[in-house]
Amino acid sequence: MATIKIDGREIPFEQGDTIIKAAHRAGIDIPHYCWHPGLSVAANCRMCLVEVAPPPGRPAMQLDILRWDPEKKDYVPARKPKLVPACQQACAPGMEVLSEGSDHVEEARGAVQELLLLNHPVDCPICDQAGECRLQDYWLEHQGTGKRMQQEVVHKPKAVDFGPTIVYDAERCIVCTRCVRFTAEVAKDPVLSVRERGNLNEIVVSPGRELDHDYTLMTEHVCPVGALTSKDFRFKARVWFLRSARTVCQGCATGCNAYLDYDPRTNVPHRHRPRDNEEVNKYWMCDEGMLSYKRAVEGRLGTALVGGEDASLEEALAAAKDQLAGLKDDPGRVAVVLSAQHSNEDNHALLTLARTFIGAKDLYVSGRPLGRGDKILMSEDKNPNTLGVMQLAGAPAPKPIASLFDAIKAGKYSFVIALGAEIEVDAKDAESALSKLKGVVTIAAHDGPLARAAHVALPATAWAEQDGTYVNRQGLAQKSERALKARGDARPGWELVAKLGKELGYAMTYKTLADVRRAMTPEAPAASRDADRAAKPEVSA
Amino acid sequence: MLRQTTYLTKRYGVPEGWTLPVYERDGGYQQAKRALSMPREALVEEMKAANIRGRGGAGFPMGVKWSFMPWPPKPEKPHYLVINADEGEPGTFKDRTIMELDPHAVVEGCIIGCFGIGAHAAYIYVRDELHLSKARLWGAIKEAREKGYLGAKPFGIDYPVEVYVHTGAGAYICGEETSLLNSLEGKRGEPRLKPPFPAQAGAFGMPTTVNNLETIAAVPVALAMGGDAFSKLSDLHDQKDGGCRLYGVSGHVNKPGVFEACVGLTLRELIYDLGGGVKGGELLGVIPGGSSCPILRPDETVNAPDPKSPLHRWHGKNVLDVPMGVETYRALGTMLGTCCAIVLNKNTDIVLAMHNLMRFYRHESCGQCTPCREGSAWLFRILDRMVHGEATMEELDRLHEIADNIMGNTICAFGEGTAMPALGFLRKYRKEFEEHVRTKGKSGTGRLAL
Ligand SMILES: Cc1cc2nc3c(=O)[nH]c(=O)nc-3n(C[C@H](O)[C@H](O)[C@H](O)COP(=O)(O)O)c2cc1C
Ligand code: SF4
Ligand code: SF4
Ligand code: SF4
Ligand code: FES
Repeated sequence: MATIKIDGREIPFEQGDTIIKAAHRAGIDIPHYCWHPGLSVAANCRMCLVEVAPPPGRPAMQLDILRWDPEKKDYVPARKPKLVPACQQACAPGMEVLSEGSDHVEEARGAVQELLLLNHPVDCPICDQAGECRLQDYWLEHQGTGKRMQQEVVHKPKAVDFGPTIVYDAERCIVCTRCVRFTAEVAKDPVLSVRERGNLNEIVVSPGRELDHDYTLMTEHVCPVGALTSKDFRFKARVWFLRSARTVCQGCATGCNAYLDYDPRTNVPHRHRPRDNEEVNKYWMCDEGMLSYKRAVEGRLGTALVGGEDASLEEALAAAKDQLAGLKDDPGRVAVVLSAQHSNEDNHALLTLARTFIGAKDLYVSGRPLGRGDKILMSEDKNPNTLGVMQLAGAPAPKPIASLFDAIKAGKYSFVIALGAEIEVDAKDAESALSKLKGVVTIAAHDGPLARAAHVALPATAWAEQDGTYVNRQGLAQKSERALKARGDARPGWELVAKLGKELGYAMTYKTLADVRRAMTPEAPAASRDADRAAKPEVSA
Repeated sequence: MLRQTTYLTKRYGVPEGWTLPVYERDGGYQQAKRALSMPREALVEEMKAANIRGRGGAGFPMGVKWSFMPWPPKPEKPHYLVINADEGEPGTFKDRTIMELDPHAVVEGCIIGCFGIGAHAAYIYVRDELHLSKARLWGAIKEAREKGYLGAKPFGIDYPVEVYVHTGAGAYICGEETSLLNSLEGKRGEPRLKPPFPAQAGAFGMPTTVNNLETIAAVPVALAMGGDAFSKLSDLHDQKDGGCRLYGVSGHVNKPGVFEACVGLTLRELIYDLGGGVKGGELLGVIPGGSSCPILRPDETVNAPDPKSPLHRWHGKNVLDVPMGVETYRALGTMLGTCCAIVLNKNTDIVLAMHNLMRFYRHESCGQCTPCREGSAWLFRILDRMVHGEATMEELDRLHEIADNIMGNTICAFGEGTAMPALGFLRKYRKEFEEHVRTKGKSGTGRLAL
């Protein structure tokens, strides 16, 4: 494979690679603002300038500059090599690149850095970006000097409302056009552009429009500085207090890889942002997914419910046993509802209870109703694990929940054991159908029709509170890590299933997640791969 | 050597000189007709031999640029000829005279140019404020079309050519060729990244040649004379810098204006023989070819002991006596640029002069890339403080550093166009700047105009 050398280190490159791309892949960081691996090249920030040795036998292109000689008290002419942006320059076999190894490069980067901060407000203490801001990082790495321009900075519009989700500060903006390119190239809604010229440049929303498509929060995410802030996150947290868990978005069947940033001191989640994965979501997430982190907290089932009243877990399990008395006499009268909202582990536990122990034949699957999809990321299927449930259950495939209620009306069942809170059919119908049954037990993280209609509801952890595996629409089994401590009395779904099984007198022995996973592996569907291995190194671009 | 010619300016001052009958009386459109029946290669070779160096500032050989176009043209990739008549460089006002006084030479040049590069359409991008220029170009295009010189079959030859005038909106940066192409396409007028170069992907993503307006207007003359003969008009034929061209001179001269002469004219001849000499006193300095070219002092001598230097012939001579050529001026550390000189007399406040130019660059920077956007503005800010007697010596010492770091680090040549003249002013007038700072501006005359 063809290679280039960066500061003497040999790295391979692929056809069409720019220097920065090859370096990024090899884990070498060349400082940059405007370059983003998922966007077109703008080469406007000039932070990534590098020195490229001329081809053998050819002289380097030199430029005339002036240096000051304090001895002579006069200028002396000097020359410097023409530097090139690593984000624009294509690799050629044998190319020798100096990045950190060139004084000219260091000088240029220091100068760019000083120029970027020249009119910058440097209001880091009230800026949401502080702590993850390239201006701060590169100041430390490449500048390190105080401000030499003593005059008032150029003032520009502040706190500009871009739409329902985003606020813009033109003074903090370095006009790298990442947001402009993102809206045009990825969101396919070119609603942002640059107005004015020179150092009066600013980003504006097209007249008559708002920044209101499905990917607005991504503009904040790609903004390398604090110019774009998310209304949801503004002034809520300082990032250095946050910890990140590697999660899988629960918003739809796409299964975007994400980080859930939370404050471990308060057990509060603060934001969901993309985790790069070339195979799944590349570098992006949709607004719905990014805001879906709130479901870790909102609408939760905090305690067990018996007959709609709060109860302890023990009481609820005992009540469940009562409710389900007689179930063993006729497994044919038991319907088990799996959940496309829950992980493989939870569903596996329930499947085991249903098939191995109870001997139930009839499986159903519930989840959130279909929604809007697009050609970018969003799936119409708003459940993270539909495919996982189908693969686990195998044949006969679980039936849609609507048919459960028809069957109930036809008097087919006496008992229902269900996972998940949400269903895709009318909630009133569901409640009236379920209320006729002898025993309904639901295991759910959220309050919802299935929980409300149940005689006994057991509080499950939300996805952010437990590790779990989800199979996305491509068939990739992806692991999502626990971020938060369980709220209220919530326990992982698989654990509640195991407890219920035990209560019913079955030998369900799952004590840890590892037990469940071990039990799952032999029958794990062939298509599922561990996508974590495909996940890129965690240097965010 | 001063040799005035009238190849390009023959109709200047002639009544109705901009109309078709006058142009045709002088043999107009004969070359276009001839070109359309020449083999393309022969035409391009003829143009290479003419050694027409681009008149827009960079001095690139025109014939060579034409030969860069992919050949043969692919039907799905039509070629375009784009004529740069933005003429925004301060001190430059030559293209305008051609458009106003000899627009048919431009149209004829476009027909020949289209054929030379395999295009069927030419866009002339004209600075919007130039109302008379636009009117005269429109008039000429209309006349030519009515005569059948433009359209589906010019001169009855099966090679369709159309010429359009597109008006800009008065931004200097839209004179930079890729910025111009963006503007032409209705996009924000900011330079594109290169590569791809216009010959690969230019107007509307198609192979395109961008020529300055004077460059294209010289084409019919060069073709009529024969490339080699045209080139030999020049004293610098051996440096492949041929023909005759327009020279402008403005500022503190007695007779500012545009003059035509053979390439090889010296600055001294331009200022004293054509421009009528320095007005109101002695010479302080000359900005040779538009504001982006570093200033020359009248007391500089050429230092070129190396026989291989294009300047060697003038070693030891005064810079004002060096023929104005692309190579000679580059070797002098300045640029020929647009060949329109700005003359400053001894009463000029040099700090004000630099301040004036840097204000222009700050205002015209497209703001796309950091060094130019912020650097040009910082340069101006410090100079502004200097003009107001507020700047410190430390700030003076910062100016060259800012310019050094604009140099070469930007997307387009605007950056060098700002940094080079800035460094020129500083290097050549450091004493005056120091004095200005020390006396809080009292040492300066405080004057730019006479
Ligand atoms: C900032 C900037 C402004 C320019 N303005 C003009 C202009 O007004 N007219 C022009 O012909 N060329 C201008 N140029 C040069 C063009 O980019 C280009 O080189 C020229 O039009 C090519 O034509 P030529 O080869 O015939 O000179 C400018 C270049 C820069 C960098
Ligand atoms: S954008 Fe970065 S440097 Fe600017 S105020 Fe915010 S944290 Fe500070
Ligand atoms: S708002 Fe942010 S992403 Fe957009 S141009 Fe400004 S700095 Fe770049
Ligand atoms: S050098 Fe100046 S004019 Fe050219 S692209 Fe950069 S900011 Fe724009
Ligand atoms: S990363 Fe901005 S110029 Fe290369």
